[in-house]
Amino acid sequence: MVKKHQNPTKIDFIHGIVEDCLWQIRDTKNVDIPDLVEAWSIDVRPKESKSVIPFVRSIQDEDPVSFIHVKRIKKLNNDTLRVLISSKKYIPDRTSFDDLLAGVDFQYDNIKCDNKVPRMGPSTKKLMVEWSEKFWPLVWRGNPNDQILNDYVFDVQEIRSTLTQIAEESRKIQGSSTEQLPIVSAFVYPNIGKVIFSKDYRHNRSPLDHSIMVGINQVATEEQGRRDRVQNGTASEEEKSQKETYLCLDFDVYTTHEPCSMCSMALIHSRVKRCIFVNPMPVSGSLKPDSGDSYCMHSNRDLNSKYEVFQWVGDNLQVPDIDSALCC
Amino acid sequence: MSQDVTHMRTAVKLAKYALDHSETPVACIFVHAKLNKVIAYGMNGTNVSISGISHAEFMGVKQIQDKYGTDPSIFSEIVLYVTVEPCIMCASALKQLGIKKVVFGCGNERFGGNGSILSIQNDTSTVRSNKFVSVPGILRKEAIMLLRYFYVRENDRAPKPRTKKNRKLDRETFPPLQWDKYLSHEEFLEEFGKEHENSFSLNQDVYDSIEWDLIDSNYGDDFMVDLQKEIELTETALKNI
Repeated sequence: MVKKHQNPTKIDFIHGIVEDCLWQIRDTKNVDIPDLVEAWSIDVRPKESKSVIPFVRSIQDEDPVSFIHVKRIKKLNNDTLRVLISSKKYIPDRTSFDDLLAGVDFQYDNIKCDNKVPRMGPSTKKLMVEWSEKFWPLVWRGNPNDQILNDYVFDVQEIRSTLTQIAEESRKIQGSSTEQLPIVSAFVYPNIGKVIFSKDYRHNRSPLDHSIMVGINQVATEEQGRRDRVQNGTASEEEKSQKETYLCLDFDVYTTHEPCSMCSMALIHSRVKRCIFVNPMPVSGSLKPDSGDSYCMHSNRDLNSKYEVFQWVGDNLQVPDIDSALCC
Repeated sequence: MSQDVTHMRTAVKLAKYALDHSETPVACIFVHAKLNKVIAYGMNGTNVSISGISHAEFMGVKQIQDKYGTDPSIFSEIVLYVTVEPCIMCASALKQLGIKKVVFGCGNERFGGNGSILSIQNDTSTVRSNKFVSVPGILRKEAIMLLRYFYVRENDRAPKPRTKKNRKLDRETFPPLQWDKYLSHEEFLEEFGKEHENSFSLNQDVYDSIEWDLIDSNYGDDFMVDLQKEIELTETALKNI
């Protein structure tokens, strides 16, 4: 994690564009609608705060909900402080809460379990002040998305090269006399840098053989083959030393056209880390807030699995256009 | 509706079969609507195939394609019975194939694509012209119980069982069924009839009792053989049409 001003990557934080070529895709229509979580609080006398704070620190790492953007202590009056203890995700019921607080060295009362706290801070300071009054006091640390963008790691050279390859491949398909759709994807294994390329096969196989589904199945088939060879002793040294590939965990997936609802969800099931596409699909696409039904599958709040998504907005890679309603 | 229950019983038996073979207890059958006979079945195969997308629905779709070819037009005659609501990926796949209808037991609160999280069946981005009705609540409690059996077992196997509470099997309480997430009022009446209208507004099951025998029996290879036979008979019947 580097400080924003020391990051060697060029990032336009306002528009979410990295190195003038990768546009961060996220559910921008909903970022400033608070995603509220329920949380436990207790009331204490001001003198107890020096005991309460170490206690809160000792449990906060266990909490699946992060409250680093939240002020833990809210002053009710000169005599009473309200302290945020944990989310209800972490402590589901009163029995567990009592267990957690059994034996603490401070006095407290008025246990409340229905505090509503925004899971993430808003994008502007003005909204932060509004939310602090309406829900629970927040800390202003800048637009939380700036930090997210700042923490991403990019190898733009590599990205450009992989995208150029799939674009070329798709133009080749377009130029050939087959009925094949010019949709191509690349699956990049984490760390080892191995790449699998996959194409769309619905012209002569199943209508569901979109390039992403084909790629996911190919990764599984190759891993099964490797495991079989390791088991029966025919594996190469390289294969033996390879770590097990679990689904497509932490893969980067490159694709020529914005994926449809089936493929974007398949990427969640496969636990990929990042998806970069070139051509948006205004009708069938499921990632951009402006595409299709605005699903933003990778950043949908109701699906708590996520992956990073970027659209290539650098030099024109000349990926062939296809019917905007066609699912990719 | 009684037909729906009959078919869902087969799906539930299959899910129990999967559970008894250490797989997730989610299963489905595809029924040819005109013949009213099973044309294919599916069980979750994510463990066997080491891919995250080998859901029961895909296994059934592949069976149909292997027999009848990849032209999707046959799906307009096919109704899917699945114990748990299809996930978004499967709901999208079924819509792209142009399935006639989807009937399921319980909702899928994490990934459901037919009402719980998204309603792919009547969206505009996934092949707009293909729409289908999805009907929840058929043997819902049985489907939920099978999932609970599975989670209790998993927790028992875990090196560090979470809490005592998780280990206790709840046979009494079931979450409400919020019908309007899945069906409009009109669609509900069409499926279940006026006599069950109250269930819709009260978010209650249409069937209150649980068929314990169904989920507590074991289904062995003879069950699978019978299912295969029915599928072969369907094939013969379709060839003669």
